Amino acid sequence: MNLLKIDRVSKSFRSKQVLTDISFEVEKGEVVAIIGPSGSGKTTLLRCAAMLERADGGTISMGGVTFFKDGVLAKKDVRKEARRKCGMVFQNFNLFPHMSVLENIIDAPVHIAGVPRAEAVAEAEELLKKMELSDHAAAYPCELSGGQQQRVAIARALALHPEILFFDEPTSALDPELTQGVLRVIRDLAMEKMTMVIVTHEMDFAEKVADRIIFMADGVVVESGTAKDIIHNPAKERTKMFIAGLKTEM
Amino acid sequence: MIKRLFLILAFLTVFPLFAKDAVRVVTSANFAPYEYYEGDKIVGIDIDIITEIFARHGKSVIVEDMKFDAVIVAIQTGKGDVAASGLTVTEDRKKEVDFSIPYVSAKQVIIVPVSSPVKGAADLKGKRIGVQSGTTGDSYVTDNIDKNPQRFDDASTAVASLLKGKLDAVVLDVEPANVHASKHKSLTILAEPLTTEEYAFAVAKGQEGLLNMLNCGLQQMIDDGTLDSIREKYDKKTQNIVQETLAESEKSGGWNDFYTNFIKFDRWNYLWEGFQVTMIVAMASVLLGVFLGFLVAVIRSTADITGKLKTADWFCRLYLTVIRGTPVVLQLMIIYFVVFGSVNVPKIVVAIIAFGINSGAYVAEIIRSGIMSIDRGQMEAGRSLGLSYSKTMTLVILPQAFKNVLPALGNEFIVLLKETSVCGFIALQDLTKGGDIIRSQTYNAFMPLIAVALIYLFLVMIFSRFLAILEKRLKKNE
Repeated sequence: MNLLKIDRVSKSFRSKQVLTDISFEVEKGEVVAIIGPSGSGKTTLLRCAAMLERADGGTISMGGVTFFKDGVLAKKDVRKEARRKCGMVFQNFNLFPHMSVLENIIDAPVHIAGVPRAEAVAEAEELLKKMELSDHAAAYPCELSGGQQQRVAIARALALHPEILFFDEPTSALDPELTQGVLRVIRDLAMEKMTMVIVTHEMDFAEKVADRIIFMADGVVVESGTAKDIIHNPAKERTKMFIAGLKTEM
Repeated sequence: MIKRLFLILAFLTVFPLFAKDAVRVVTSANFAPYEYYEGDKIVGIDIDIITEIFARHGKSVIVEDMKFDAVIVAIQTGKGDVAASGLTVTEDRKKEVDFSIPYVSAKQVIIVPVSSPVKGAADLKGKRIGVQSGTTGDSYVTDNIDKNPQRFDDASTAVASLLKGKLDAVVLDVEPANVHASKHKSLTILAEPLTTEEYAFAVAKGQEGLLNMLNCGLQQMIDDGTLDSIREKYDKKTQNIVQETLAESEKSGGWNDFYTNFIKFDRWNYLWEGFQVTMIVAMASVLLGVFLGFLVAVIRSTADITGKLKTADWFCRLYLTVIRGTPVVLQLMIIYFVVFGSVNVPKIVVAIIAFGINSGAYVAEIIRSGIMSIDRGQMEAGRSLGLSYSKTMTLVILPQAFKNVLPALGNEFIVLLKETSVCGFIALQDLTKGGDIIRSQTYNAFMPLIAVALIYLFLVMIFSRFLAILEKRLKKNE
């Protein structure tokens, strides 16, 4: 059963075409990494899937709920249902700075999902333990390191029990020494069979954690396949160039 | 038959007057001995005459004090029934209102320093002349001597300027001029009057019944000598005041001035009552302003972010343009005389509405800048967590925006607090007006002005301190 189905999606900003006829599916329990040079449209694609951006054409379904069909947005309650199935982790964390770590996590469950406060707090504490942040429940985001903030953001997304979790370059805003904690958390989630779509630049990480890698360039999917195939044995010239470029950089 | 018809007509035109409880008399009570404050009561020749006229018809009067400029507008817009404010009959004014028969002939005289080279009207050309804004002296000087005399709200300020050497001469009605000249030894009144004028009461055009009642009453009082006895009573009072102020000025000094301005006749009460009005108006209108401001800011940012609410946004922008593009004192007067012209709303409510609407426009732009300063990632994070647009706004965006703009909001409140000092334009007795009343009674500018200024300063300092504490508290999570 697929949790995300993207079918011939396209999108342009003014006259610039950023996505052209993109199609792929994500199965339940699958971890998909989207890689590609900057400006290739991978973040835009993720944002369209997470309903933060509106595509121009195509069809998108989330867990069987089609919230965008042939270029037309579905009704509000359908979109709401689809939105409930996904969570989003941003490059810049986007924690709410005026709320403590705990409040950040329980805000949506209490105000939207109607979870009793005590229950939400108990679950938030559980999640924080998992993120190794139990000591920081009362802290404010500004008191945490970037890596800690990103782990809070992941906990915040998980608190709503999404069926699929989107990551938009989750480690790009972090100092190198802080990325490991975040990557470890994502790897743990993969072990638990959490369905995830991750836009990333961390090639090693993508290889270790992703079941499948999609390589994008200039708004199209150039090729997709297992992590090993794409990184070590790419079929297309464009992919080879990109991978080779990364290797010389290192 | 015709006579009877006439009687019925006359009755019908007068009848509505009897239907009302009391006649509303408007005046500008800083024109002794015609109208002025004695304690917190307005008294004077005009007031006694008008009270007597209506008393003979079994009606009471309510006297209301306002700026002289506003008196004629007030009867035109129905805020008052009769203007009794030492109004001189002029051709210009006849076009605006109807006058009763005159009840006094008054002279406009020239006050100059004793040593002045100005010896008569002919010497006034090219001199700095002070007048009371809107009075006959003002229009006579404007028409005949100097197109731009220095126009003061009240005679006391004009005389104070003359004393400080900022003016060469002041043109005033003879009675108030006598009071000022006797108080200040260094001033004298030129023997030759500038012009002689007639005073009359004024009513709105078309108030035939009311006008008849005034004319009949005045004629009766002239005939039976009542008018003369009222004049005599005030002549005596004036002499008493003159002697009293003379006696006081001889022992003039720091403590004595203080005593006269604040302790005597419990004059501090004007400041205390005015202080309360100022606080009520400022507090209530800032609440209204913040409410309006939040509303407008949210509508405008929503239109900017989502492209919805276009019509509401258009109205909001119109509101901002008009309110920020016009002076608050005009807005206050328009709301009092035009918007609530024909309804009786307490003036303090009018002031709260006017200042609230005014402040709302500034608060709106402050809060909107706060909303726009919040990273758009915050809105996206909220939306991705399933919070609706409005929930994200209220739970995530606005609390952060509010904290960011708190210093600017505090500043807006300080500005508003001081702006309420124009309440006097609609005769609302706020702090500044309270000081003005003391000034008009004691002919002393320094003490009341400084006292009022110190109170404002004190209020602003306390408020700033409070704001600093609040900011520090909100800063804890940064």
